[in-house]
Amino acid sequence: MQVSLSWLSTHLDLSSYTVPQLSDLLTFAGVEVEGIEERGVATDKVVVAQIQSFEQHPNADKLSVCQVDDGSGTLRQIVCGAKNFKAGDKVPLALPGAVLPGGFTIKEGKLRGVDSMGMMCSGKELGLGEDHSGLLIMAADSPIGTPFNQLNPADVLFDLEITPNRPDLLSHLGLARELAALTGLPLKGERHHASTSTKAKAAGAEQIEIKAAEACPLYTARIIKGVKVGPSPEWLRRRLESIGLRPINSIVDITNYVMMEMGQSLHCFDLDKLNGGIVVRMAAEGEKFLALDGQTYALQTEDLVIADSHRPVAIAGVMGGEETGVTEGTVNVLLESAYFAPSGIRRTSRRLGLSSDSSYRFERGIDPQQVQGGSELATKLILTIAGGTAEDVVQVAGEAPKLVGEVTLDEDRARRLLGTPDMTGDEIHAILEKLGLTKKSASKHESHWGIPSYRLDLQRPVDLVEEVARVIGLDRVPSRQVAVASPVEAADRTYDFAMNLRQSLAARGFFEAQTLRLIADAQLADSLGGGQGVAVKNPLSEDHTTLRPSIVPGLIATAALNIRQGLHRLRFFELGRVFLTLPKGGSREEERLAVLLSGPVSPTSWHGREPQAADIHELVGQIQNLTRTPLEVRPAKEDPANFLLTSELRAGNRVLGWIAQLHPARAREIDARHPVYVAELLLSALRQGSTGPTKFEELPRFPGMTRDVAMEVPADLPHAKVAAFFASQKHPLFVGAEVFDVFADPSGTKIAKDRKSIAWTLTYRSSEKTLETAEVDAAHTAILTALEKSLPAAVRR
Amino acid sequence: MLSDLDSLKTAALAALEAAQDESALEAVRVNFLGKKGSVTALSQGMKDVPLEQKKEVGAKLNEVRTAITEGIDTKKLALQAAQDAKAVEGIDITLPGRPGAGVGALHPLTQIRDLAIRTLRRMGFALAEGPEIETEWHCFDALNTPADHPARNEKDTFYLPDGRLLRTHTSSVQVRTMEAAKALPIRIIAPGAAYRRDEIDATHLSVFNQLEGLYVNQDVSLGDLKGTLEYFFREIFGAGTAVRFRPHFFPFTEPSFEIDVKLEAKGKDARWIEIAGCGMVDPAVFAEINRARGDNLFDPETTTGFAFGLGLDRLAMIMHGITDIRHLIDNDVRFLQQFVA
Repeated sequence: MQVSLSWLSTHLDLSSYTVPQLSDLLTFAGVEVEGIEERGVATDKVVVAQIQSFEQHPNADKLSVCQVDDGSGTLRQIVCGAKNFKAGDKVPLALPGAVLPGGFTIKEGKLRGVDSMGMMCSGKELGLGEDHSGLLIMAADSPIGTPFNQLNPADVLFDLEITPNRPDLLSHLGLARELAALTGLPLKGERHHASTSTKAKAAGAEQIEIKAAEACPLYTARIIKGVKVGPSPEWLRRRLESIGLRPINSIVDITNYVMMEMGQSLHCFDLDKLNGGIVVRMAAEGEKFLALDGQTYALQTEDLVIADSHRPVAIAGVMGGEETGVTEGTVNVLLESAYFAPSGIRRTSRRLGLSSDSSYRFERGIDPQQVQGGSELATKLILTIAGGTAEDVVQVAGEAPKLVGEVTLDEDRARRLLGTPDMTGDEIHAILEKLGLTKKSASKHESHWGIPSYRLDLQRPVDLVEEVARVIGLDRVPSRQVAVASPVEAADRTYDFAMNLRQSLAARGFFEAQTLRLIADAQLADSLGGGQGVAVKNPLSEDHTTLRPSIVPGLIATAALNIRQGLHRLRFFELGRVFLTLPKGGSREEERLAVLLSGPVSPTSWHGREPQAADIHELVGQIQNLTRTPLEVRPAKEDPANFLLTSELRAGNRVLGWIAQLHPARAREIDARHPVYVAELLLSALRQGSTGPTKFEELPRFPGMTRDVAMEVPADLPHAKVAAFFASQKHPLFVGAEVFDVFADPSGTKIAKDRKSIAWTLTYRSSEKTLETAEVDAAHTAILTALEKSLPAAVRR
Repeated sequence: MLSDLDSLKTAALAALEAAQDESALEAVRVNFLGKKGSVTALSQGMKDVPLEQKKEVGAKLNEVRTAITEGIDTKKLALQAAQDAKAVEGIDITLPGRPGAGVGALHPLTQIRDLAIRTLRRMGFALAEGPEIETEWHCFDALNTPADHPARNEKDTFYLPDGRLLRTHTSSVQVRTMEAAKALPIRIIAPGAAYRRDEIDATHLSVFNQLEGLYVNQDVSLGDLKGTLEYFFREIFGAGTAVRFRPHFFPFTEPSFEIDVKLEAKGKDARWIEIAGCGMVDPAVFAEINRARGDNLFDPETTTGFAFGLGLDRLAMIMHGITDIRHLIDNDVRFLQQFVA
């Protein structure tokens, strides 16, 4: 909300506060100052001057030498660069010694050799708007020699963020009231804001009929006849313009002024365009309404309207109607001042997407006690500015709702919540009293408070504690630190496990990515591990429609982005949440680790040629390094459009996740130079293999012996089969076997095309003694014999 | 014989001197000390030496053999040393190191989150988590947010067709934790993603990262909140960092504050930067949790608590001077490698 310091100053004398002090005062009262703009000049050394004559500067094409009347009796010579003036124009003239906004001081001097005794100013130079195109040309009747700030008073505008709990601050009077409480300064001026002194008369049903008392408990109308609608006087226009409102005509401007002055939103109807009395009712379903903004709105039964006997004439509290608004031709007006319940206004405003300064205030809640005061102030201003005669009674339907009551404060609890055991009851009372609360009674530990009608936010004891906290500030509260011994939660273990994985991958050259969890439909095909993702009902754009069922699409997008930057050695991982739609409805969230790998096995360096590009076994190896248990790769159902070599990664009987090569066609789409491999693992499955402390295994006391075996097998015999054979061998001396060579020759020269040669090292050991060669040979022979029986293998002997 | 030995010694030492590698050295050994070597031949002639000379010749023979053996050993060491020196000859030590597997890095968000978690764990906060797809009750109702609050609008919040929503803050984890708690105290932090229906630009993401904190016990005070968060921000930004609390409004805390820290930007005066929101848990939240639990564990008469929340993306941007939040989701390696730990 824009707030004018000069406007505020009509309510209390803030001259002893600097702008930064006021800004701090507001900030620490909970009103955030989002901007401060200083307008106009405070100095009276800028005066109205008239340009009598001017001529071309002898030494500069773009400058003029002007003779100017500043009211002193002698003409003053000013060199000027602007072109938008003629002789006789009146302009603001900064005299030597004047300090302009931005701290710029005017001095006498020479400009290109010609004396210049001051500066004629543009609007921008005086802190008035952005117009820097030329001099500010003033009205012809501006009196020469008058200080400029008498005609255009300097002002400071605060842009304030008023939190939703403080609607009472949405007016100059409300803020002044708050500042008065915080500073102790007295409020001055007429107290019209709270007045209910006007004669009121309960309105008969023929004049005002409230058919929706819940949505509108109080409605008042005052009829003023014989007004002359025209432009508002200068002071009113300036007030509205200072806070960014556009003057329209005197009647509309007055209603806006009263709203910004005291927070009461009003509406004026052209009485002659109303048919019969006012009916406050809910709209009929589908009822059409042409509003002041020129738009037609289709209303529903939950919308409150002000109607005459024929049609709605206003959406209550939100916007008036085009057909019954006040225009230049209006003679008789009906001035509405009412209390509308916040929730209804909020609902209608949201549904119609129609918000106004009026709805903003009603939906946050206004002070019901000011409804008649607002009407009274507006009437007074209309009579003064637009003339006419007011009916001497205000017609009132309904009554002001009682929104605040009394609150009892347990002062010990307040002290404990604040952490200020030394705070006295007197101190607490003084704070609440200066905020306008009335002490009804007080005992040793408890006090009982009456709440002012505008403080809708003070309903419970804790609300009063907040007031105390706000006023004393946290500087007054001593800091306290406690540490509590907390048991380790499951979330802690998961976090630590995940951090270890992250660090392990980063240490092996992988970059951690964090991609958006909302992905595009088109990206879903890049998912590994199946799953649909969870579609959002109201996505913001087609790029972010679905909660990802897999992290892989994000990593592929990451690869694409980096390839565009010329990077072809890609090592990425991401650890985070995925979202899966369950077949029977609902959804499941789980943490996964995804890894993407492409390009040379090591970074290029000055030493030697570019290292060879990684193959899928490189990624298998990287994943094996993350788990304690041996990894098993098991070919799985292919998704041939997007991936090749899709396989399940298993450890024991657990499925850890999936691995695949991005289909070369897809890799070409993102301009990948090397094959792209991806894997996705379930964090919970990875963790299962790593729970509990590692169990130490006794080191072998006797040396082992190894024997190598080379064999020829069919080219399509998977390694897993051979490995499974060795794993099943129970010979007491046999410890284990490892593959150390795989050789195939697609040309068929060195070995037949449909055959391959594989070589394994077998280890033998006894836990009781050092083995004899003969014992090992016997064991080895036994295993090789079994091997040839179980597998289509020809052992080379 | 004696003169033969002397000249043999001279010849052997000269041959050693001339030897330039291990094989030449071996040849010298074989020529003089080998089975058919000259020294060996002479020693075989010892039997013919007259008795009275035997002692002298024997000693001489030993002296020559020792001299040659030691000469060989010395020369061997010298040759080895020369070879060792040669092995490092011509190495340009100023060349860059080999990259190994290369360096990777943790995402800056991970790093800052971990820093925050480690700091708060030192104060006895345990981790907690909750679903990102939430019910309206956990995200809003239980947090004292009015039914027609603008944040619930479909314009601002993502919904699923079944009526659930994507949590707009990690504060829903407060509710989850209190719902499931067996006893007091509760002292948790919950890092996690949250969602708001914001267009992505230099300062906004539709999915962002928060860290939530909650401490509930008997007699938790504003002083505890202040002390905890002052400690936290000073651990993060440095011991002398000024921290201030500005009164604010949140539906689920009262009193509520926003926290600013005073930080210097490069080449500019230090200024206050908004960094977090916090407050004392509103009794209405406890009442609603009790209602849902069907007990009175969070007795509003005796139980108080504080809660705080901060944006990790924002924290990372402030900490590292990152000017565009989209860098955090682009994962450009030129960005990520700046954060190699």
